[in-house]
Amino acid sequence: MSVTTLPAVAEAQYRPAAFWRGEGFPLIPVLILLLIAFVAIFADFLAPHDPQVGSLARRFRPPAWQQGGSMQYLLGTDHVGRDVLSRLIFGARVSMIVGLAAVLVAGTIGTLLGIVSGYLGGWVDQVIMRVTDTWLALPALTFAIFLAAIVGPSELNIIVILGGVYWTRYARVIRGEVLSLKEREFVRLAIVAGCSRRVIMWRHILPNVINSAIVLATLMLGVVIVTEASLSFLGVGVPPPKPAWGLMLADGKKGLMVGYWWLTVLPGLCIMLMVLSANLLGDWLRVKLDPQLRQL
Amino acid sequence: MFPHTTRRGVLGLAAASVLGSEARSAAAADSHITIASHVSLAPTWFDPAETAGIITPFLLMYAMHDAIAKAMPGNQMAPCLAESWTTTPDGLAYDFVLRPDVKFHNGETMTADDVKFSFERYRGASHDVMKERVAAVEITDKLRVRFRLKAPWPDFMTFYAAASGAGWIVPKKYVEQVGEDAFKKAPVGAGPYKFVSFTPGVELVLEAFEGYWRKAPSVKRLSFRVIPDESTRLAALQRGEVDMALSIRGELADEVTRTPGLSLKPTVGSAPYWIYFPEQWDPKSPWHDVRVRQAVNLAIDRETMNEALTLGHSHLTGSVFPENFDFYWQPPAPVHDPARAMQLLKEAGLGGGFDAGDYHCDSAYSNMAEVALNNLREVGIRVQLRPLERAAFFKAYAERKLKNLIQGASGAFGNAATRAEAFVVKGGTYVYGNYPDIDTLFAQQAREMDRAKRTDLLHRLQQAVHEKTIYAPIWQLSFISAVGPRVEQSGLGLIKGFVYPAPYEELTLKTRT
Amino acid sequence: MKQYIVRRIGYSFLSLFLLSLTIFLFVRLTGDPASLLVEPGASEADMQAIRVQFGLDQPLWVQYWHFIASFVSGDLGQSFYYRTPVLDLYFQRLPNSLILAATAMTFSLLIGIPSGILAAVRVGKFWDNAGKVFALMGLSLPSFWVGLVLILFFSVYLGWLPSSGSGTIWHLLMPAFALGWYFAAAHMRLTRSSMLEVLGSEYVKLARLKGLPEAMVIGKHAFKNALIPVITLAGINLVVMINVAVVVETVFAWPGIGRLLYEGITFRDFPIVQGVVVIGGAMIVMVNLFVDILYALIDPRIRLES
Repeated sequence: MSVTTLPAVAEAQYRPAAFWRGEGFPLIPVLILLLIAFVAIFADFLAPHDPQVGSLARRFRPPAWQQGGSMQYLLGTDHVGRDVLSRLIFGARVSMIVGLAAVLVAGTIGTLLGIVSGYLGGWVDQVIMRVTDTWLALPALTFAIFLAAIVGPSELNIIVILGGVYWTRYARVIRGEVLSLKEREFVRLAIVAGCSRRVIMWRHILPNVINSAIVLATLMLGVVIVTEASLSFLGVGVPPPKPAWGLMLADGKKGLMVGYWWLTVLPGLCIMLMVLSANLLGDWLRVKLDPQLRQL
Repeated sequence: MFPHTTRRGVLGLAAASVLGSEARSAAAADSHITIASHVSLAPTWFDPAETAGIITPFLLMYAMHDAIAKAMPGNQMAPCLAESWTTTPDGLAYDFVLRPDVKFHNGETMTADDVKFSFERYRGASHDVMKERVAAVEITDKLRVRFRLKAPWPDFMTFYAAASGAGWIVPKKYVEQVGEDAFKKAPVGAGPYKFVSFTPGVELVLEAFEGYWRKAPSVKRLSFRVIPDESTRLAALQRGEVDMALSIRGELADEVTRTPGLSLKPTVGSAPYWIYFPEQWDPKSPWHDVRVRQAVNLAIDRETMNEALTLGHSHLTGSVFPENFDFYWQPPAPVHDPARAMQLLKEAGLGGGFDAGDYHCDSAYSNMAEVALNNLREVGIRVQLRPLERAAFFKAYAERKLKNLIQGASGAFGNAATRAEAFVVKGGTYVYGNYPDIDTLFAQQAREMDRAKRTDLLHRLQQAVHEKTIYAPIWQLSFISAVGPRVEQSGLGLIKGFVYPAPYEELTLKTRT
Repeated sequence: MKQYIVRRIGYSFLSLFLLSLTIFLFVRLTGDPASLLVEPGASEADMQAIRVQFGLDQPLWVQYWHFIASFVSGDLGQSFYYRTPVLDLYFQRLPNSLILAATAMTFSLLIGIPSGILAAVRVGKFWDNAGKVFALMGLSLPSFWVGLVLILFFSVYLGWLPSSGSGTIWHLLMPAFALGWYFAAAHMRLTRSSMLEVLGSEYVKLARLKGLPEAMVIGKHAFKNALIPVITLAGINLVVMINVAVVVETVFAWPGIGRLLYEGITFRDFPIVQGVVVIGGAMIVMVNLFVDILYALIDPRIRLES
């Protein structure tokens, strides 16, 4: 999240090990992500209760293994008696959808603009880069809050907002890639052969930056989800009563003082697991697919 | 210099003065109460001219200002800045005899000029109603004011003294001298406490006004600290950083009952909460059928809601009119009967339940809404919660933009007639449709000077509202505050129907033993 | 040299221009900015008055001109709720945010620098891996969750620290830690890579060849040089911290700029939101400029590179 125009500090020339984990395939993170995706898709069948309905008489039940808990509400209930487990399950759906969609939006815009900017150069490049730099100067969360205050929060709006805030990170990196790609043989040949610029960008450049885009996407996923959770926590994210993990954290905060720990710790753990897994996967992909990206 | 001065005498005097001042400063240091406020204090609340028809500004007005008449312990319309008032037999004029030697914080004495000035500068809730009906304000004497009405208006006092801020008196000379903006930055009033400093969003500091006509407050310094987050507010109280915490709800209120040294003070306000059916006049809407509305009424489990959210202190009611209002009609107690609710739905042809659309509410009361939502689902009525932040909610409510179900409330002062005007009768601010028979009753009572007849008309009006189930009333909310160990008299609950600590001059601290 | 500075300043002005343009355009995104610029609950007449006041019926560039002119003169609008100029509110709360950010920065450097050095010196081995994990944690644990868990342990279970609010140093500890957590990981990363670079440099190789003890090599020579980029990043991050502290300040009810932004959202007080965003963005642009120029003054390579 920090921005600097300092020259990127080069990776160690002092050999040998790469910073991040080496060749080991991150099995557990991938499994976790797949699990979350699975849960998100089949939420309707997996959740034991309706996430939006609760019974006041059964509010603030602790998780099953604590005194006062029951197997019926495995992870306890919240302040209106809703089952925490069911809400976590449906919350996964929200996180997945918002996360993936936002990353997709950001990635598409960012990659396209990065390619255009890098390949065409000139004033187009200047304009896009200036805008990118400026928008990067604004912290993503603040910018997202600003936009949410204007257009009002809704699931779709949040996706668009997050996409609109995070594309700049893509654009920067992709542009860098394109700049070096431009000098390569096959591109030169294509120009000589008389291919139009559009064809070159689409057929030659794009496939070669896809790798970086994918790596960025997985890395961005974590950040986007944390931002979405922050927005929900502040009350400008996905609007209630849709269960979102960030919203659960906000609701659970009041109970913290009285010791109802499961209302904050559990949603937070979910967020953490998802983000951690995305980050680990992204790092491994980065090393595997494109060593040049270690600069990130 | 002085005859008979001895060394012993001088020493004695010196000792006495030192001890005395020490005792004084110790008392002064102790004599400070900090109240943790649940809302951020708006400078418009320092100025009675801007009272918006909600109860919150009165939190500060009772501290810094005083009125011709206001609700006090034991009397909902106690004479304060006015000693007495009379009406002429034709009902066209009200004569006020003002209290002599009432001082404002800047030393000036209150006169009829100030009363007239305060009325004329008033631009808050109901100001148009009052300007319309009051022909003129005449100063008959330095301490006598006459309000001449265009037509007999039995509710004049209700509006002037209770429902609006027009009866709260500010010093004319001072306001004209410093201007409106400066007045809000350094308000001067006739109340028990005078303004010292205000840091927006953080703290308001007030100092006791020794010259207050009623009595000098025993607590010398009063601060309001803004802590909108409920857990933080309670934490501050527990650590002794504040002496009182306003608005502590639900599980946190539970926590207070378990903490030694802290006490819980629930007060029932004049704010009934309800569910409104804006579509009941539309023959195509399911809400048109009174049985469906009755089903909603029967579905709400008010008792459990009360236990959970307000520890049982809220007042369950079958009426949307506050109980302590003038002309109140007591309806039968509300019933919780989900089986019967489902039966009614079946009779109305909606046996398997139905998708009822949106449930709009003020986001501050989403907790209530979530419970109600549950209750409705249990009988098959499925709704989506749509909370809106308070100002936006009331705006949309008043602009008639909301559909399906609206969870509303009103804490405005007044009487049954003023409530009916805003919420029931044709043309009312929050009215989406009307019934001619109710309108007729209302028109009749507005002209009726005889109190008994008027009461009867208003009772029949309320009965009609009840029978038609225009509203599904929920409760009169109990506002719960927590008080710390230092406070002897917190002022909470002294004035019936008023949820904030007042009168402030009555606040005391426990004396050290 | 001068050329570089002039160019850099030019870029900053361009950034500020683009920033203001962005904010200006986004506010008009919905088509009717009057609904944002006017108090919630206002009447149609009020909205019309606002339209006239802000000249919303005039051509866009005229509006933009007024927009810029008022900002430059320090008028960022007036908060509806507080009836006070936004700039005043901002500067009233700024000291609180600075205290929090400074403490958080201290935490992050105290944790980040030593662990980064350790990771670099023991590269590939246990401490490096531990550092890796730590860095990952910093990235993956949202600051507000860290804050909530801290409250759970230190306030609710142990009762050592106050759960929220401000006023004493005890109130400061947890929010500062929660805020600094993410940056600690970032600083650790940078320290590590910077340290590794320096350790691989000719200068250090020479020191080693000279037979100097390893501790001296690291402590005296490598350390100072490695620290330069970290300190500059820290400087920029201080400003960033102030702006991203909104969630931590909300969790701990800390009365800073972030809290002000939160109030702006909750009260639908748009001038506050706009003001905080504008000032925040401008601050970051200025800090970047300052750091770049400072860097250029210190390190000639930078000037030549650009």
